[in-house]
Amino acid sequence: MTRRLQTEILVIGGGATGVGIAWDAALRGFDVILVEKRDLTHGTTGRYHGLLHSGGRYVVKDPQSARECIAENRILRRTHPHCIEDTGGFFVVTPEDEGEYPDRFVQACAETGVPCEEIALREAFRREPLLNRRISRVFEVPDGAADSFLATHVTAQAARQAGARILTYHEVTGLLLRGPEGAREVVGARVEDLAGGETLEIHATMTINATGAWAGQIARMAGLTVEVIPGKGVMVAMNHRLVNTVINRCKMPADGDILVPIHTVSVIGTTDVRVPDPEHYGIEPWEVALMLAEGDKLVPGLSRARAVRAWAGVRPLYQEGYTGASREATRQFTLLDHARRDGVQGLLTIIGGKWTTFRLMAEKTVDKACEYLGTRQPCQTATTQVPGAEQGHYWLGHRLHEVEEHELHGDLVCECELVTRAMLENAVYRNPTLTLDDLRRDLRLGMGPCQGGFCTYRAVGILHEMRERAGEAGGEVDRSDWEVAYMQSPAHNRSLPPPSSLPLALSSPNLLLRDFLQERWKGVRPILWGRQLKQEMLDSLIYLSLMNVDHLPDAGLTSPMTAFYEQDAGDVGETEAGV
Amino acid sequence: MFTESWQSVGPSLDECIKCNICTAYCPVAAVTDRFPGPKYAGPQAQRFRENGQPHAPDRSVDYCSGCRVCNEVCPTGVKIAELNARARAQMVAEQGIPLRNRLLGRNELLGKLGSLAPRLANLGLHNHVSRVMAEKVVGIAREAPLPRFSEEGTFGSWMKRTAGERLRSDRKVVYFHGCATMYYEPFVGKATVVVLEHLGYEVIVPPQNCCGLPLLSNGEFGAARRYHEGNLHKLVPYAQQGYEIVGSSTSCTLTLKEEAPELLDMFDEESEELKLAVWDVFEWLRERYRQGELPTDFKPLPMVLPYHPPCQYRAHRVGRPAAELLALIPGLDVRVSTARCCGIAGTYGYKREKYQIGMDVGAELFEFVREQGREVRMTACDSETCRWQLEHGTGLPSRHPIEVLAAAYGLYDLERREPRGV
Amino acid sequence: MREIPDLLVIGAGLSGLMAAYEAAEAGLRVKVIAKGLGSMHWSAGTVDVLGYAAGDKAVSMPLQELEGLQAVAPHHPYVVAGAEAVTEALSRFVALAKELGLPYEGAEEPGRNLWLPSPVGAARPVYLAPQGQRYGDLALAEPIVVVGFEGLRDFYPWVIAENLRKQGHRARGTVLPFALLSERRDANTVQLAQELDELKRVVTLARALKEVVEPGERVGLPALVGLDRHGRAMEVLQEELGTRVFEIPTLPPSVPGMRLYRALRSDLEGRGVEVEIGMEAVGYEAKEENGGFRRLLWVETATSARPLKHRARAFLLATGGLLGGGFDSNHEGRVWERVFDLPLAMPQNREDWFRPKFLDPAGHPVFQGGVSVDREFRPVSPEGKRLFANLWAAGNGLRDCDGIRERSREGIAIVTGIAAARSILVALRREKHVH
Repeated sequence: MTRRLQTEILVIGGGATGVGIAWDAALRGFDVILVEKRDLTHGTTGRYHGLLHSGGRYVVKDPQSARECIAENRILRRTHPHCIEDTGGFFVVTPEDEGEYPDRFVQACAETGVPCEEIALREAFRREPLLNRRISRVFEVPDGAADSFLATHVTAQAARQAGARILTYHEVTGLLLRGPEGAREVVGARVEDLAGGETLEIHATMTINATGAWAGQIARMAGLTVEVIPGKGVMVAMNHRLVNTVINRCKMPADGDILVPIHTVSVIGTTDVRVPDPEHYGIEPWEVALMLAEGDKLVPGLSRARAVRAWAGVRPLYQEGYTGASREATRQFTLLDHARRDGVQGLLTIIGGKWTTFRLMAEKTVDKACEYLGTRQPCQTATTQVPGAEQGHYWLGHRLHEVEEHELHGDLVCECELVTRAMLENAVYRNPTLTLDDLRRDLRLGMGPCQGGFCTYRAVGILHEMRERAGEAGGEVDRSDWEVAYMQSPAHNRSLPPPSSLPLALSSPNLLLRDFLQERWKGVRPILWGRQLKQEMLDSLIYLSLMNVDHLPDAGLTSPMTAFYEQDAGDVGETEAGV
Repeated sequence: MFTESWQSVGPSLDECIKCNICTAYCPVAAVTDRFPGPKYAGPQAQRFRENGQPHAPDRSVDYCSGCRVCNEVCPTGVKIAELNARARAQMVAEQGIPLRNRLLGRNELLGKLGSLAPRLANLGLHNHVSRVMAEKVVGIAREAPLPRFSEEGTFGSWMKRTAGERLRSDRKVVYFHGCATMYYEPFVGKATVVVLEHLGYEVIVPPQNCCGLPLLSNGEFGAARRYHEGNLHKLVPYAQQGYEIVGSSTSCTLTLKEEAPELLDMFDEESEELKLAVWDVFEWLRERYRQGELPTDFKPLPMVLPYHPPCQYRAHRVGRPAAELLALIPGLDVRVSTARCCGIAGTYGYKREKYQIGMDVGAELFEFVREQGREVRMTACDSETCRWQLEHGTGLPSRHPIEVLAAAYGLYDLERREPRGV
Repeated sequence: MREIPDLLVIGAGLSGLMAAYEAAEAGLRVKVIAKGLGSMHWSAGTVDVLGYAAGDKAVSMPLQELEGLQAVAPHHPYVVAGAEAVTEALSRFVALAKELGLPYEGAEEPGRNLWLPSPVGAARPVYLAPQGQRYGDLALAEPIVVVGFEGLRDFYPWVIAENLRKQGHRARGTVLPFALLSERRDANTVQLAQELDELKRVVTLARALKEVVEPGERVGLPALVGLDRHGRAMEVLQEELGTRVFEIPTLPPSVPGMRLYRALRSDLEGRGVEVEIGMEAVGYEAKEENGGFRRLLWVETATSARPLKHRARAFLLATGGLLGGGFDSNHEGRVWERVFDLPLAMPQNREDWFRPKFLDPAGHPVFQGGVSVDREFRPVSPEGKRLFANLWAAGNGLRDCDGIRERSREGIAIVTGIAAARSILVALRREKHVH
């Protein structure tokens, strides 16, 4: 049986942009449904280094992007303060970055309105003692670090509070089309509920394709061609904060030129390699080596520090008619109005841009939708705070501080990232959870040095125990309004009575275990040497020697994510380096 | 704050594989919930601290006693105790230092003051009323084993008084006595001097100041740096002339060698020169023994002697040389303790809120001493505060092993704690 | 001049301590140095000899697999030692463990693996189990009640029970209040085990267990039933309950492993073996000798200042591999042995170190590399040439074994530790004879 839903606006894609659109549209009074084939932020939003741009990176190359960035930077600091750490940023001139770029940079900052101040070297080294002492000039800009998981979650909560429905693990399998060739109209989408196994038909007046690097695939369902330039960027997280300020090279954007302190780690990024498929790509050894070598130019010795993980995201770059290298493609966003562009009604595609400008992209998209839907409600997102904003800016010590104040040491499940049992339970009760990877995005579970070595087992045990005890006390939690604003706060999460039923597939602990072990393995494998290799061997000892996880029952069970975790980077074939 | 560098203790957090061995062996976490354990307070919490924080996010690290058992058992080489000491310094830098910790950190100054009128000072300090006052006003536990000022004059005054009797020789060694020997236990210094002279060395006692450890463990890094610089200034010239510098207080020698440079990020040439010249007295004596230079004209000392190699000694990572050499003494039955810590950990056990923790930690050691039988008359330990704690916890007198060695050479009266006339 | 030790063992894991025991027992003067503690504190405390052979084949009679091993892994430490040495070393361990008051037992049918419940309820192949774990034997018929404690983060009885049921065993899970174990809010398994060294607490626990155990059930508890007085605690529980009680191992730190380590170490110290922890070997000195060998004079360890020299007649490297800290590796794909820079049989290219799946039944090649030794457990060059006249190697740093995947870590440690010690004995005796 196919269930039928009706809405005004259907948003496809649960990244920052899609969720931003749902929020914006719901605030303007539209009836909205958002579908995401996996968890929120599974795509590029959850796979970037976490930079809140000041715009500095683009002042010379892409002044329009720079202007947008600084404007949005100021807005997001007000609307999403708890998702942002006010790290500040440096643009540094290393011996290799000589030439006239630094002066052009200063000039361009002035022209684009990006605040930029040259600071004394002594001051820079006092603040960042590990910086390369051969750096000759340092400019300070208002960069920041953003938690894109939390930001997207709380934006989704804000959207839900405004009436939007958000369906994760709902994959679009086809667009609902009406009308003959030449007068075609998109009237919604056919959607598969991957967890529940149900098929839905969602009928919508306007369908918005906000699937980023996957936008071409959705457009193709309407017979349209949208040539996304999937630019893969590899990032390596170092085990702790080598710096507390975002460090950029003061030169034209290139590989490995940025070091972002985010939560407990520092992320060196990125490469930019055009890949054939946003879903299937590997992390090549040369990419990791390049990140380390470039990182050494910012912080000498970085390559000998402990790397904790590597990952890649695919930039959804778009430039009508462009076929060159992804690094050179514009960072601006593009809104494709398929009615005007292709003569297909009822479909908009928003593509390109960057996390920092997600709100602006949403605003422009909903503005366009308004034109078709015949209302002229003004956008409210620039002046509306999302839930949890009262917490103020994030600061690195906040979890430790709360654990200490409330003496929660004994309740820690993930000791590396300070996740308590109650945080874990509440994250499951209060928002849909299918895999431990979802909880990782919610809570940072398993993101520390041991990469799940200890907490994977504990989380599986606790989730299973929750299922065993569900209904014992019968406390029903209303999950229609996900509570995620304080999800990351140890102090604000106290144990709730177990609800009468638990969501989704918490059914097989063995599957949860295997999936998460493989998911963590995928991201450590490219950086396994030295201390992280030793760590991984201890983790292997725990899960093989001690637990015998590789000989548990239910070996054949799979989740919607299993194939993705198991996908072998080695089988992907050649990527087009620098093409 | 203090400059972070790759040599510094901070990056050692990267060595941690979270295996929890340190927590399993931590003597403090074993007896109290107030300290969540070395892994938590060290490499784990450190990732949430880093330099330039708006404020120190954690307080429980103050319950680390600094005993370094964690460093000893860690299979990967995290400098846990040092990370904790750093974190405490950050707290001090932000929140200021309680008067109590200022006092405990300045035993040299206290020693100087007390030694002006030691009898009066002892009377003033060691009575019930003033101890209650001290606990109430400054937070020094009333039961804690505070030392007594030497009423027979300081070690320095003894050296002066006996200058004519001291051995002159071509072979010379520099002696670092430390504050406790200077003001509270001059007899330890005397025993050291007579032993060194027995080996044929002339003992040079140059001007010196406190090694700075009490300040380091109370988070006063600025003041500790001045002390260490003072010692560099006074002692490095000897090191450069090729003299070896021998100390009888094992925590002082550890500080001069390693703790001060590591905690203060002083990796300069002078600190390195000093480090390589400094020896703990038994480490140095063992070297003489290995070279065949140690006289073995021991007189029998028939007794059972429980010996506790203190935490600071183990932190030197030179083994248990005192136990090795005492074992050469005929009749002496040395029983080496495997207890982790006596609980005092420098100044830790003096603090009102930590006194009981210190005693609970020490229980393992006190029990060990009791197990050695009723005939045990005294114990031995290389560290002064540990000896005081041992005496407090067992009711038995405690001696520095150098006193025992001196006695075995017939140079020292172990009961009265003074050199015998030669 | 003080006599130098006959044997310096570098590493205080199971292989190092077993070698020290074997050598001390034979009258050698032995000293053990180690950077820190390890290995035994991480494992289940069982002696796993061989659980899975090539192709992930479950092994029921480990000693009968040795011949097959020869074909697929000719340099495997068991093959190097030979079947007889394997059998003998294991009996030696059983005898020692009994002497230590920490008896280990195998299956009723000699030579057969036991299958014991893991912390997630999988069946672990174990050759010798400490008495405390012995009655977890899944071949026994009695139904199991797995008892956990509220809020104990390292033990989940319901998962264990559910997986045991899925494998056809009768099992259920239940929990008791945490307060039975401790008044503390924050305690790890080692600290909890120490609480159960108190008799009063064990008796209280027994009473509470009585309330939840059904007649005929055996009781599975997390492995924290006492540290130094484990034997007594188990006896009291079984007596009070009138049923079999067994432990299921937990996440590190491992209480059963720690019991074994402490018992072994104190036994060694009783035999006059010095065991020094906190000493990291950082260098060595050797001299050229006739025949192209080099003879080790001393090994140096790091101290608070200058390196400390440890002289000995013979040296045993038992520092483990990548996990134990015997090897290090870097991002350029180099893996090296840390004390002597011994040549390692190891994939040279980082791309060849791993397989794409974490749980790949074939394991990961980098975990299988290690030091090559000859039949006397002396390190050799890739050409098979002996490198030092007085250096031996033992433990999981040897090549062509993968203790974690094979479930053979303790077996390898015990067998190679004892075999190397015997080889050292022979060599030193021969030397004495010659002099």
